[in-house]
Amino acid sequence: MIDWLTMPFDVMRFELRRSLTPARIAMWLILVAFPVALIARLHALMPESGMPPEMQIMPLGATLYLLVPEVTCLLGLLLWATPAISTEIEGQTWVYLALRQSGRRVVLLGKYLTAVVWTLSAAWVAIALSLLIIGVEWRMWWVMGALAMLSCVAHGALYVLIGVIFFRRTMATAVLYTLTVEYGVSFVPALINKFTINYRLRGLLAQWMNWEEMRSSAENVFGTEPAGTHLLALAAITITMLGISLYRVNRAEYPTQQEG
Amino acid sequence: MSAMIELNHVTKMYGNVVGVNDLVIELPEGAYGLIGPNGAGKTTLINLLIGHLRPTIGNVRILGSTPSSDRRILRQIGLCPATDVLYPNVSALEWVQYQVRLHGIARHECQRLAEQALETVGMSATMHRPMGTYSLGMRQRTKIAQAIAHEPQLLILDEPYNGLDPVGRSDMTRMLKNWTAAGRGLLFASHVLQEIESITSSFLLIFGGRLLASGTAKEIESMLAKTPQEIRIVGRDAARLIHRFADVDWVDSLQLTENRKELRVSLRDPTMLSTQIAHWIASDSLSIERVSAADGNLAAIFESLLRHHRGES
Repeated sequence: MIDWLTMPFDVMRFELRRSLTPARIAMWLILVAFPVALIARLHALMPESGMPPEMQIMPLGATLYLLVPEVTCLLGLLLWATPAISTEIEGQTWVYLALRQSGRRVVLLGKYLTAVVWTLSAAWVAIALSLLIIGVEWRMWWVMGALAMLSCVAHGALYVLIGVIFFRRTMATAVLYTLTVEYGVSFVPALINKFTINYRLRGLLAQWMNWEEMRSSAENVFGTEPAGTHLLALAAITITMLGISLYRVNRAEYPTQQEG
Repeated sequence: MSAMIELNHVTKMYGNVVGVNDLVIELPEGAYGLIGPNGAGKTTLINLLIGHLRPTIGNVRILGSTPSSDRRILRQIGLCPATDVLYPNVSALEWVQYQVRLHGIARHECQRLAEQALETVGMSATMHRPMGTYSLGMRQRTKIAQAIAHEPQLLILDEPYNGLDPVGRSDMTRMLKNWTAAGRGLLFASHVLQEIESITSSFLLIFGGRLLASGTAKEIESMLAKTPQEIRIVGRDAARLIHRFADVDWVDSLQLTENRKELRVSLRDPTMLSTQIAHWIASDSLSIERVSAADGNLAAIFESLLRHHRGES
């Protein structure tokens, strides 16, 4: 039993080991550098706005939230979680994994963990460097860190599901879904936006940072539900999507190779 | 005792395309060759055997279990697929260890089993090098190692000689003979008949998704006794046999090569040839070097079966 529980972590270790390539490391550095560079530039421009320092926290914090939990995390996960299955199919290595007694589910879980760990590490480093530049109190450190983690966990499950179902044109499907649902529908002032991950994350941002003014000015965007509801919704989304992915991957008949 | 492989009227459809069609096979433990040209359905059959595909109709049982629903049986199956594998910056040892681990085998056992398998295929010296630096032959050996590392009861190989040099082929043949001698099951898919003949004399012939024949070469030969077969008669006096064949009613056609040293004869009843040819050669004092017939030659049997399947007999 313990062996089975540790197997996804062995898959993660193998995946991280094989991902130590210059291209992957460069991508990680870019994911870290671009929000930090933008925050540094914005922070440098703040004195020109004439805003007192205590008033600068909210726009800088909102920008950091947008750049890291909503952009960096999604980009990292798009690169890692979405092609979890399609890269194995295209590389014709899926059959090696599928014929293992615990291969399908364990590999999917392991790849999901890899995507989360790889992306979250970039997100946390980006947040830490950005907050060092901004120089804010401790609250924003843990809020941004927690939101990045929740974003990785929930969006990772979403992209894994997309990867499992749409193993052809995976990236295109995931990008389309992200633009339409997570960046489009999540801002729609209707019930439907409550089913998006970004709506829940924005709600938690406003709650945990006590940005009541921002929330009351855009209730449909930031929600009015308590933090517990948002957390429950994110947990439900993650568990449901991972559950469907694991069920689907166990039954899928992915192409292995062309005959002839 | 349950059969090693049991297919009960198995059909696999890909939409409207038939992958394999109404396969009925029951094989006791042993070594078998799976022969068929590219596109015959060999890989579909293998994917059914490992439970990667579920049959549209019928059922598949391996060592008494249904592989698509009871995945525990996969622990008893080793597969070396035809497709290449390349994780450029991972060593053979890491990869084989990883594959063994996915069977749920304890971590500390995985390294020992992986090293043992890599030693068996002659990769001990290079198993710590990244796979990106391997030749095709080395990758092929590594693939075999991952198939045998968890010590399965049934080994399925899809074109295992691909990329191997003559020494590698010889080593592979020796290893597979040892494998079967140890009483373990082997299914060996290839479209190169000589490769299979060197390992086993029992085979399944698949074409167009259908099982054309199964059994030993001799059994197939007797089955084909009434099927037209082509033979080649090579020698200085080959042309002088033409008038003999022209006078009998069990010959379909004759073809003499340009140098007049090879005569190709299509026989309607091959059994008649064996009773006549020696007599003709002796009575006419002919110089004949070689008569290549279907007996013992899988290539000839294969050609004849295909003609039979196409309704040309």
